[in-house]
Amino acid sequence: MEKMSRVTTALGGSVLTGRTMHCHLDAPANAISVCRDAAQVVVAGRSIFKIYAIEEEQFVEKLNLRVGRKPSLNLSCADVVWHQMDENLLATAATNGVVVTWNLGRPSRNKQDQLFTEHKRTVNKVCFHPTEAHVLLSGSQDGFMKCFDLRRKDSVSTFSGQSESVRDVQFSIRDYFTFASTFENGNVQLWDIRRPDRCERMFTAHNGPVFCCDWHPEDRGWLATGGRDKMVKVWDMTTHRAKEMHCVQTIASVARVKWRPECRHHLATCSMMVDHNIYVWDVRRPFVPAAMFEEHRDVTTGIAWRHPHDPSFLLSGSKDSSLCQHLFRDASQPVERANPEGLCYGLFGDLAFAAKESLVAAESGRKPYTGDRRHPIFFKRKLDPAEPFAGLASSALSVFETEPGGGGMRWFVDTAERYALAGRPLAELCDHNAKVARELGRNQVAQTWTMLRIIYCSPGLVPTANLNHSVGKGGSCGLPLMNSFNLKDMAPGLGSETRLDRSKGDARSDTVLLDSSATLITNEDNEETEGSDVPADYLLGDVEGEEDELYLLDPEHAHPEDPECVLPQEAFPLRHEIVDTPPGPEHLQDKADSPHVSGSEADVASLAPVDSSFSLLSVSHALYDSRLPPDFFGVLVRDMLHFYAEQGDVQMAVSVLIVLGERVRKDIDEQTQEHWYTSYIDLLQRFRLWNVSNEVVKLSTSRAVSCLNQASTTLHVNCSHCKRPMSSRGWVCDRCHRCASMCAVCHHVVKGLFVWCQGCSHGGHLQHIMKWLEGSSHCPAGCGHLCEYS
Amino acid sequence: MFVARSIAADHKDLIHDVSFDFHGRRMATCSSDQSVKVWDKSESGDWHCTASWKTHSGSVWRVTWAHPEFGQVLASCSFDRTAAVWEEIVGESNDKLRGQSHWVKRTTLVDSRTSVTDVKFAPKHMGLMLATCSADGIVRIYEAPDVMNLSQWSLQHEISCKLSCSCISWNPSSSRAHSPMIAVGSDDSSPNAMAKVQIFEYNENTRKYAKAETLMTVTDPVHDIAFAPNLGRSFHILAIATKDVRIFTLKPVRKELTSSGGPTKFEIHIVAQFDNHNSQVWRVSWNITGTVLASSGDDGCVRLWKGSTIPSLQNSLNGSSAGRYFFTPLDSPRAGSRWSSYAQLLPPPPPPLVEHSCDADTANLQYPHPRRRYLSRPLNPLPENEGI
Repeated sequence: MEKMSRVTTALGGSVLTGRTMHCHLDAPANAISVCRDAAQVVVAGRSIFKIYAIEEEQFVEKLNLRVGRKPSLNLSCADVVWHQMDENLLATAATNGVVVTWNLGRPSRNKQDQLFTEHKRTVNKVCFHPTEAHVLLSGSQDGFMKCFDLRRKDSVSTFSGQSESVRDVQFSIRDYFTFASTFENGNVQLWDIRRPDRCERMFTAHNGPVFCCDWHPEDRGWLATGGRDKMVKVWDMTTHRAKEMHCVQTIASVARVKWRPECRHHLATCSMMVDHNIYVWDVRRPFVPAAMFEEHRDVTTGIAWRHPHDPSFLLSGSKDSSLCQHLFRDASQPVERANPEGLCYGLFGDLAFAAKESLVAAESGRKPYTGDRRHPIFFKRKLDPAEPFAGLASSALSVFETEPGGGGMRWFVDTAERYALAGRPLAELCDHNAKVARELGRNQVAQTWTMLRIIYCSPGLVPTANLNHSVGKGGSCGLPLMNSFNLKDMAPGLGSETRLDRSKGDARSDTVLLDSSATLITNEDNEETEGSDVPADYLLGDVEGEEDELYLLDPEHAHPEDPECVLPQEAFPLRHEIVDTPPGPEHLQDKADSPHVSGSEADVASLAPVDSSFSLLSVSHALYDSRLPPDFFGVLVRDMLHFYAEQGDVQMAVSVLIVLGERVRKDIDEQTQEHWYTSYIDLLQRFRLWNVSNEVVKLSTSRAVSCLNQASTTLHVNCSHCKRPMSSRGWVCDRCHRCASMCAVCHHVVKGLFVWCQGCSHGGHLQHIMKWLEGSSHCPAGCGHLCEYS
Repeated sequence: MFVARSIAADHKDLIHDVSFDFHGRRMATCSSDQSVKVWDKSESGDWHCTASWKTHSGSVWRVTWAHPEFGQVLASCSFDRTAAVWEEIVGESNDKLRGQSHWVKRTTLVDSRTSVTDVKFAPKHMGLMLATCSADGIVRIYEAPDVMNLSQWSLQHEISCKLSCSCISWNPSSSRAHSPMIAVGSDDSSPNAMAKVQIFEYNENTRKYAKAETLMTVTDPVHDIAFAPNLGRSFHILAIATKDVRIFTLKPVRKELTSSGGPTKFEIHIVAQFDNHNSQVWRVSWNITGTVLASSGDDGCVRLWKGSTIPSLQNSLNGSSAGRYFFTPLDSPRAGSRWSSYAQLLPPPPPPLVEHSCDADTANLQYPHPRRRYLSRPLNPLPENEGI
């Protein structure tokens, strides 16, 4: 592991060396304390009291202080502290209320020195005076704090917190006489050791017990407190009233808090329950820990920085019966793994993007025009290099919106709303939808609709072909719609003029048609041609030729040799050769018989080749000649639908499915159909196209889909007069024999859409209510209710 | 094509996730400051914060919306080892007058022992279900048996992934032919290279989730994973944010061919791989039709990728919406795919440190990429990485 590496720090005279390591204890630890030489650590618990030497590679047990045969409750330690002046002096707090001092200098095996049995309940904390050799302070569950002089047998003074149990006592490092104590009721008290009668100051620090506190090693007057409310607060005690300076939010109640040496804003915390990790926080970034130690498998009970001037070694003891040395360098850093960005694609093609400001700023910093203004601010904020701090992290949130008309999903909504799916002859539906698609600039789709019409409508029924063509042209080349309709209205005899017009249209439509030609290429799977312009032009011819074909052949079989039809010939000689000699039906038959089961797009391609001698055009031509049955194209159409579905345009797949109905349904398996339907309906509902969605549900033949709008349609209402439940049938209330659904505005019975306020149950016709609410927000029935309609 | 509208989010720490609701009219953001904010789009298109509340006692990693059929429901997950489900309360309260709505916690899911890194609601047709994944490598799937009672969730499945999980994605397909499927990404950064993306599929016979596939080629930490909206496709598209952007297709092999009852076999192809971010990629997100992928990375840019064709499937993935196609033959030689970047977005520079402006900062909009003006020259092969 990477944690094997060792770290060495030189501190004045001594040198600290070590690595992340742990050793197994025999029993759970309750507290630990480090000797002033930073080479030994004492571990105390309910059934353990040992001193370990911290060596480079391991902990070595040095001394077991639990001696004697019968275990004494005096040895059941809640807390332990090693004197910071005297390497031989330790104190423990026992769960039975006894405070014990230990002298390691005693020659006998039993190092116990003095026993103070003054507290009545568990002593939670003991604390030596930082500079005075003989002064010991204890805080107990019984609510008292006692100060002992180790030269005397009893306590020197007793401090009564006048409140609940004492959880922690800590001598101030800078103020000789001051100590702080924390209480289970959330209070923190400040005492002068010379004045046991009353505390100097008291304030409520936390909501619930305050489990711990720690004075800042350098900043006089900074006190950190941690409580069950999962917070660590940093107080400035120098001001008249304790001022909360920072508040760190941890994820569990805070059991211990220790300022990190040499790092002014860092502190380490561990939790009393649930959370086994040790966190190091930068109090200026109160939400995300700067470092996290995850070694322990049970609650961490004691933490201590190994040396008062070394920020990299942290020792910890835990309920999992282990003692650990953590290296700050090996800590996991949640900040590093935290995702600095959020991104979400919206329904209409808009993008929400949140990013760490520094990421974005770095980007804009490269631009000369923003750099000069921002950089000085950043440099000013920079702190001393010993403690790098990137400033409070924050994110910039922005939404990229698609400009109207510049993309987005408008086309989808328009298409869904304008498509005609049923209620008219197939040819009309196809024409209508082709027109819609063309107007929305979706040429490939329009082309498909046109082809479908050709395939499935016998030639006798196509007097509207002219319409189809001209409208199509109008859509694609930007001719005014009116013009197109004019074309349609013209008699066939006026064809010459029409065609002249059309050829002009052709000329103009070159660039626009590029799209559809490109898509056709895609259709044909001809990737090589996609990138360059030349093949596109060539294929443009393809499309045009096709349309010519439609134009010439569909409506007027009578004039296949019309001179006008030669007009485009100069541009597309090849195409017209094909027209002149249409391939025989037997050729087509071969094609139809050839295996189509693969379902790949190659099938489509086979019918629309780039260089072979026949095209889709000729197919349609041949169709009319040979009167092929429409289901001859079933496979082709099926593949076409699959193609649209696979490319994400389920709208097209479903629309065609509905429009063609029985003609293709049998070619596509039920499950796929249902999948398309549900996908499309889901999409429609996303866009709140409820009416379209309902229409699709209604028109679907899949059982699973068509029952979608049948579920939970029952509405139970109460009579608006007597407030009793209405019977299931009829307009008249059973009890009060009045019509329940009267419009409160016009006083007629509402049949159909009835809106009512759920607060007072009065309502009426939608239009009437809307009109009423424009003028007044009170109920039109006069009940005085301020009606709410969502 | 895009107008950037910067929003004064006023989160006190990093924002980790943004999420649009089903209809795209609401947005939720979550942050390390332990709060979630809900934004509503006004008629004029401005986003207004209508709710902001403390959700967790740790960084909130993800926030996600449930299908509106289940109400206005959010789920969040956090560093504090919990996931929570929130519901908006409608009522005549004073909050409403101030334009604020009230959200209440319906449940807290406390099964994880480590940070919960992602939470996602299952596709609607599966009912009210959600999946969480946690840093200890366990994916949990919960179900609310009664959709009217959001406070009761039962733990249905626990899937052990053996690797610290960072992200999950449900397969959105509503087809009966596709069993429920969930993809899990791991950001485990330990040096022993293991596949970081696993795909689990529900087996009707054993009623358990079983590993269907492992994407062996993805060995770097994965930060985000997203199935594209299925929309009737027979195959699935999966985008992965790792040190680069990768797009895979998963085509189910016909059931008849595989042994019945066993997990579905997939033909997996990598169809695109882009390292244009030149850094860690943090997020990927699909558009509604699954035709455009947005990605964001440490370079502070959002890049949009649009598929033209996936040769392996003989299919076009063109968004027929646009009807515009870009072909950059030099693009991504490694994958040989036809996905191309067609836009690169930079958020407007952050507002001055003091004042926060809600207005669209159009004056400062940067157009780093000529491709965004592609309409004029649709077929020109455009250089990659120009300018940036």
